[in-house]
Amino acid sequence: MQNVVPPDGLLAPYNGNRERVWTAREAAHLLARAQFGFSPTELDRSVADGLPGTVDRLLTPQPESAEFQQSETVLRKTALATGEIADLKIWWLYRMWSSANPLAEKVALFWHNHFATSNDKVASVPQMLAQNDLIRAEGLGDFKRLLHGMARDTAMLVWLDGNANRKRHPNENFAREIMELFALGVGNYTEKDIQEAARAFSGWHVREGAFWFNQLQHDDSAKTVFGKTGNYDGASIVDLCLAQPACSRFLANKLLKTFVCPEPSAAMISAVGLRIQQYDYAMTPVLRELLQSQLFYDTDFRKSLIKSPLDLVVGSLRSLAATVKWSLIVKRLADLGQDIFEPPSVKGWEGGRLWINSSTLLLRTNFATEIASGEQICTLLKGIVDGAEGASESVVARLERLLLEGDVAPALHSEILTHHQQSEGEATMKLRSVLQLMMSLPEYQLY
Amino acid sequence: MLPSSSRREFLKLLGVTGGISLGALPPRFLVRAAESPAAISYDKRVMVLIQLAGGNDGLNTVVPYADPAYEKARPGIGIPKPQVLKLNGEFGLHPSLTGLRELYDEGKLAIVQGVGYPNPDRSHFRSMDIWQSAQPENETPRDGWLGRGLEWRFEKRPELAEGLTIGTDKLPLAFASTRINVPTLRRLEDFQLIDGHGSALNRDLTRIAQKRLAESRDSAIGELDFLRRATTTALTSADRLKSLSSAYRTTVSYPSTGLANRLKLIAQMLTADLPTRIFFVSLDGFDTHSQQQPGHSALMAELSGAIRAFEQDLVEHKLSDRVCLATFSEFGRRVAENGSLGTDHGAASMLFALTPTGKSGFHGQHPSLTDLTDGDLKFNIDFRSVYATVLDRWLEIPSQNILGSKFDPMGFI
Repeated sequence: MQNVVPPDGLLAPYNGNRERVWTAREAAHLLARAQFGFSPTELDRSVADGLPGTVDRLLTPQPESAEFQQSETVLRKTALATGEIADLKIWWLYRMWSSANPLAEKVALFWHNHFATSNDKVASVPQMLAQNDLIRAEGLGDFKRLLHGMARDTAMLVWLDGNANRKRHPNENFAREIMELFALGVGNYTEKDIQEAARAFSGWHVREGAFWFNQLQHDDSAKTVFGKTGNYDGASIVDLCLAQPACSRFLANKLLKTFVCPEPSAAMISAVGLRIQQYDYAMTPVLRELLQSQLFYDTDFRKSLIKSPLDLVVGSLRSLAATVKWSLIVKRLADLGQDIFEPPSVKGWEGGRLWINSSTLLLRTNFATEIASGEQICTLLKGIVDGAEGASESVVARLERLLLEGDVAPALHSEILTHHQQSEGEATMKLRSVLQLMMSLPEYQLY
Repeated sequence: MLPSSSRREFLKLLGVTGGISLGALPPRFLVRAAESPAAISYDKRVMVLIQLAGGNDGLNTVVPYADPAYEKARPGIGIPKPQVLKLNGEFGLHPSLTGLRELYDEGKLAIVQGVGYPNPDRSHFRSMDIWQSAQPENETPRDGWLGRGLEWRFEKRPELAEGLTIGTDKLPLAFASTRINVPTLRRLEDFQLIDGHGSALNRDLTRIAQKRLAESRDSAIGELDFLRRATTTALTSADRLKSLSSAYRTTVSYPSTGLANRLKLIAQMLTADLPTRIFFVSLDGFDTHSQQQPGHSALMAELSGAIRAFEQDLVEHKLSDRVCLATFSEFGRRVAENGSLGTDHGAASMLFALTPTGKSGFHGQHPSLTDLTDGDLKFNIDFRSVYATVLDRWLEIPSQNILGSKFDPMGFI
């Protein structure tokens, strides 16, 4: 890894050769994508720290506060004690909202969506939690270790019918998905590759909640996968997948779609794919470059991604809320279409425009109303409520900086201003009304 | 983006006009009128699609009970001959399909056999994409056959270009379109704005979204334009559905299942004379890899009971001649059962259609149970012929425009 040359072209540093701007807009763009929203304090700190400083903090493990550690432990223990998946959802949502390592949580969600596993079938809080610990432990580390770990993960084995994969009756489920969804993508393998690989995974079972190599049900004969023949077992199939050139490109495409733009170009995929190869699947250096690249700050790609329900809901809460009623938030997220630990299928959430339809847009608007009212689902941060006082122009400008990345067309700005001026009631009421409007805007659904 | 004249029409459509007159003008583009077998005027016709997600086992749905190869391939999960609801000397229905049996006897149920496509793909996602896009060669389809159909209608009769998905988490690819937004209704309550500062919000939001949409001149639709259009659609749909439930009464007792609830909502909307003409609902859980029988029986019962009640409700409200309903699934299952009393992903299969034109009974030919490709049935009806039937003979949308080439319509409409 020491020999990797510095990035150039699309991935050349944004702060590189020429003088580049680093204002609240750029900082907001970075934080919106690398975290689930950001508080006014986080935004100010990032502006002051500069780009390399901010990315460094995001990628270097930060100590958690005592309060966080205490709450996190209680929530984790509660979920294990009740065995209710709703409690485990609250545990993770709390981490996304409050952790001092928000990028680690964002990347964990990326992998949860990549290796989409649902408790609907696994039906075990401890196993879902163990899988989540795995993606958090390896998520910013090494994809090779992650993929190997996932092939032996008990939740995954239950989810994709590991126990049904026996010597005389191979079950293709995991073999198909590791090629189609986890490592290579459609078009980079044949049906025959899947059938042969399924035999290599035969006997990879779960017993008493743990991985168990069932020798009797393992097919030890020769298999031919990707044109190579050997007495492969599951681990060798994982290695064969990782050695395919399609694998790094497949990951590059997904990273770009999550962090940069809805439709990455072939050149972008090649550039990032090459770096993944050069770093031998280590994710931290790849993200470090990507988040500091000219590509990432290209004005064409600012506000080009549609917020997922988690980005919208947890992001709004991180920006605005002091306390949160998590049981209600779990319900809102399910209604909006992103029910963590219960993705709709092994394909995960496709996202983008598919998040949006009449029903979910009305629910997004209703969520804006709820959060702005600051009654049932959350209370507002003191700094936000205090910001209600003052001239319309300054109240609105402060919220635009926090919620719309400070990037508001003049015509829209004057609409928002008018709405604030015409809202009735005292300053706090006017603030709530304008918050509700801003968070219902089509513009707020983008980041 | 839309040309400015149709943009005006579009915005008008999104407004709560209330007085849209349906069926006033004989459509000039009704080129196939002479061939259309239906008595009801085309602009009142409604299509309901039921997706059976996961890959329905067609062989245990319409059972080729007389074929010894069936029993041989399915020693553990085959439907025993005496339990099959026999329709003729060769085929019968799964024992849980009692409601569909009655519809068959009443001459309302069509069964299309051997439906599939060349080089079948056994991935759920890919095969579902193929069925929904009707573009088997396109690896990354952006729109669906119903979405393209609605786009065509939008040019001619925008007030008849509305579709609706009920009960799914996301918009199905079948309805995807770069121009038309098809709402997804999960529950009726989802379509109500919470009060609060509500009235000013709705007013300002609608104005902002519409005004800025009208200003947009870009021919490529960016995410922001997409969201502005979606916002306008959402706000007007909410208004329209507000008064829905009060008008509707029925004596039919629907089973208390998810599918029955969704079909009942469609019946409610039809009685309220909403302009929606194409509905999409899904029934999930057909991926029966292991211990197939109990789960599959329950799904068959849910399907049959829901369709039966829906049809009775339509008859009661004198709407049955307006509605055609069809099922589809991404693939059938492998002919031979697997080692876990289940079935793996297969290829060609069958589908049901509730036909309003009396063209019931069997259509297409059942594939051989012994002349197989990789253990799967061979198709002899391209699924796009089924779509061509619906498009040309029912919705009167020229199928060639939608499907890219000519597929012969079938006789079930």
